Amino acid sequence: MKVRFWGTRGSLPVAQKSSAVRDKIAAALVAADGRRFADTAEAARFADDTLDFATNGTYGGATSCVEIEAVGGPSDDGAFIVCDLGSGLREFGLNAMARCAAGHARLYHVFLSHLHWDHIMGFPFFVPAFDPGAKIVIHSGHPDAETALRRQQEEISFPVAFDWLRADISFRTLEPGQRYPIGAVTVELIAQHHSHVSYGYKFTDADGKCAIYSTDSEHKIDRMDGESAFVDFFTECDLVICDTMYSLADSISMKEDWGHSSNVIAIDLCHEARAKRLALFHHEPTYSDADIQRMHRESIRYEELTREAAPLDVICAYDGLTVEI
Amino acid sequence: MTGGNLVWTAQARDTLRVVSPAGRIDESTATAFAEHLAQEIEVAAGDGAKQLAIDLSLIDYMSSRGLRGLTLAQRKSGDHGITIVLVQPNDIMREILAISRYDMVFKVYDTIELVPSGAL
Repeated sequence: MKVRFWGTRGSLPVAQKSSAVRDKIAAALVAADGRRFADTAEAARFADDTLDFATNGTYGGATSCVEIEAVGGPSDDGAFIVCDLGSGLREFGLNAMARCAAGHARLYHVFLSHLHWDHIMGFPFFVPAFDPGAKIVIHSGHPDAETALRRQQEEISFPVAFDWLRADISFRTLEPGQRYPIGAVTVELIAQHHSHVSYGYKFTDADGKCAIYSTDSEHKIDRMDGESAFVDFFTECDLVICDTMYSLADSISMKEDWGHSSNVIAIDLCHEARAKRLALFHHEPTYSDADIQRMHRESIRYEELTREAAPLDVICAYDGLTVEI
Repeated sequence: MTGGNLVWTAQARDTLRVVSPAGRIDESTATAFAEHLAQEIEVAAGDGAKQLAIDLSLIDYMSSRGLRGLTLAQRKSGDHGITIVLVQPNDIMREILAISRYDMVFKVYDTIELVPSGAL
């Protein structure tokens, strides 16, 4: 199984300002300390080997969109599997069209965590939706998913109506507690605390590899007993993608009831569940690359401080990251 | 006194009550930790205390449930006009408070003697 992150930012797409790029260049020049490079390839190697990620790259600014690639199993129809339709979907769509041109099936299974704007805003820009030979099945725990997608393409919001899309688009409502063989995976979902409810998904492939997509999930301070359901859901999973938008202090004070969680709670849940790897996800849009990198380093340290059994590998998702499970 | 696997000691200093839990505050002990803190708030209120200082010097570590137990205690103590402060965090607890940003929502003192008298 492979997991590709096409959009990892929370709430709102963001872009680098010119001053941020200049600061990265300035930091790189200082790190180079006057050395000379034969060509850009050598300079790129220096950047990869020497500079930290916040200097030599960026976590990106597209909103939630994650691809699960799996093969095998009795229900494998060769389809793409995509979690959420945030602004990262646009780039996924272009990439998928190229793969289809190389022979990939023009089938898409989409799984929606919920219907908030940042998780559906990419769909009007999803090129495969204009492909008359494409089939798109949008799975959701929400029976009103179609209403949400149609509404954002009404004339008051967007120039291209939903009915102008040419792909065969259908909607399917899923129920928590059930196991659904869909494409090359078995899918389960869990209800999460978020405005208008959100759903976390578990994808298990034919080899038993497992990935969790759990974003926009607040773990309420007055319902800590309910976290055992998430521990059960995450149990021994190979990769858990978690909403880690806020610090713990923010999530239970000023930003309580905003529907998001923290790096600290995600690590505790994964420790208890004996999960193997955690991907920090749904990054706060006001965070710079340096802020996200600091949060990642602090998360690794918290994992070390609170570890009681096997280590949990804490990675930080960024737009363009591919994780092999 | 024990709560879960934690060992507690407590002392009163005028309007300041100091409680000192010892052990690990994780998923298995966090509930008992929060419940014991709630009892200490009642005791502090009965004694006319204005501050409850939680001595963190003997805490091996505290998970998010323990930290959230501190927040629940903070909310309860506010109803009694009692301010909770954290004192003597060891190196591990100091890091955990910083990572969770709990050092932004609680006043943290290096020693009990540095806690100002009277409500903060």
